[in-house]
Amino acid sequence: MARHEPGERRLIVKYAVLTLAIFLPLIVAFLLVRNLYPVAAWNVMMAGGDLERGRNYCILRGETISGETIDIPAINLTNALYSRTWTMVNATIGNQSFKLKSIHPQNEEFSRQFGGVENLPPGVRLPDLLQAWGEIYNKQLPASSPQRLKAIRLDMYRWEGGSYSDYDKFIESWRKEL
Amino acid sequence: MAQGIVNRVVPRSAFALGVVRCIVQGAFLVSILFTSFSALGSLPVTILRPTGVMKLLPWSFYDGLQTPAAMVVFKCVLVLSLLLSTAGFLTIVSTKTSLLLVVFYQGLLRSFGHFNHDEMLAVYYLVVLAFTPCGDEFSIDSRLKTRTERPAFAYAYPILLMQLLMAWTYFSSALIKIRVAGVKYLSTDNLPALAIFHSLDNLHDTHFKLAFWLPQVKAYLPFAVGFVLIWELLFPLVIFWRRLRWWMLGFGVVFHLATLFFMNIFFPHQLAMYLIFLDWDRWKNKRNDKN
Repeated sequence: MARHEPGERRLIVKYAVLTLAIFLPLIVAFLLVRNLYPVAAWNVMMAGGDLERGRNYCILRGETISGETIDIPAINLTNALYSRTWTMVNATIGNQSFKLKSIHPQNEEFSRQFGGVENLPPGVRLPDLLQAWGEIYNKQLPASSPQRLKAIRLDMYRWEGGSYSDYDKFIESWRKEL
Repeated sequence: MAQGIVNRVVPRSAFALGVVRCIVQGAFLVSILFTSFSALGSLPVTILRPTGVMKLLPWSFYDGLQTPAAMVVFKCVLVLSLLLSTAGFLTIVSTKTSLLLVVFYQGLLRSFGHFNHDEMLAVYYLVVLAFTPCGDEFSIDSRLKTRTERPAFAYAYPILLMQLLMAWTYFSSALIKIRVAGVKYLSTDNLPALAIFHSLDNLHDTHFKLAFWLPQVKAYLPFAVGFVLIWELLFPLVIFWRRLRWWMLGFGVVFHLATLFFMNIFFPHQLAMYLIFLDWDRWKNKRNDKN
């Protein structure tokens, strides 16, 4: 068996602890197939796609002062949410921030006004999100620009599934005047 | 003996670990420099859903932070810390502050959206770098003070650990797919249905429409999906089998570009981390020979 100097032995112990501290939580997350930030289970696309399952999706649009309706790529508004915008919108539509163990005080109050989380209409916080996005968009343009938005909206569509066609059945729209 | 093996399979110099530090910290620095934190701070705090350890912080903290001005201050602190750790100045401290700040920032982003995995590997690399002597060379620190003598293992093992972590991401990903979906994962509709769903909205970062072509070739797609699964399962070979390494990594680049063009999903941070597989010692020796 190799003999190590005390300093070297300390280094080996330190690296063993570091390895265990990183890999043990990862292995537990893997076994449970569960992410608990910052511990990740690499479950990316684990379920795969299912043609029979219908899916909703959204298009962000703006209505300009000049009267045009334009598509607005959300990445141009909040690029920090790179790769995550679509799930943020889905969670907002599903009122997920109202279904936490610890709810934000303003959401708690809002929920009380509606008589409980179950009575909230879908996307009850979407107007706040749309307002923020609309303001960010308008800030990027000169005050006199006809391309500035007078309203911003989120249109939801559904692909019913079952075939590779009919992707855009209109479901619902949320609109916010700016 | 184990030390000997480690020293043989990965670069083992302080220089190599220093370069890796620069790449990992620099990847976060560049992406954060190009990110608008004031826009992020404009989002309503009421849509936030703190995830994992982020739940430990009180709402009053998020109320204070989630404003354009506070987020700009946060960005400045983050950039300063990452600048120091990328350049290797006050490395012992700056690698730890960068780790803490990036973990918080990435947690905040995941509290708005979902637990996506692109940056997670690099976050684990920050953990490794925070507790290893990554500032002994290729750093400002190394120019200011004399280096403590350490065995080659001190520099080789952290690089090996990072390579093992990358192998784990692909290997465990394949095992989870097999566990959860089983042979259904190889169905002809798996890839086209998934790819088309990710190509319908304008909330993804890119809007490629190649997914709509996939149903025409769907009979062949189970082979492509199966090939990717095998590649993921075999990825750990990259560490020990150098001749295979560049083929495997090359396929990884093609795979991640394919998910971008067919699914509008991209993993740039994960791809940047491929650079840890370069033999930086050999690169340095070649440069020295030329000079």
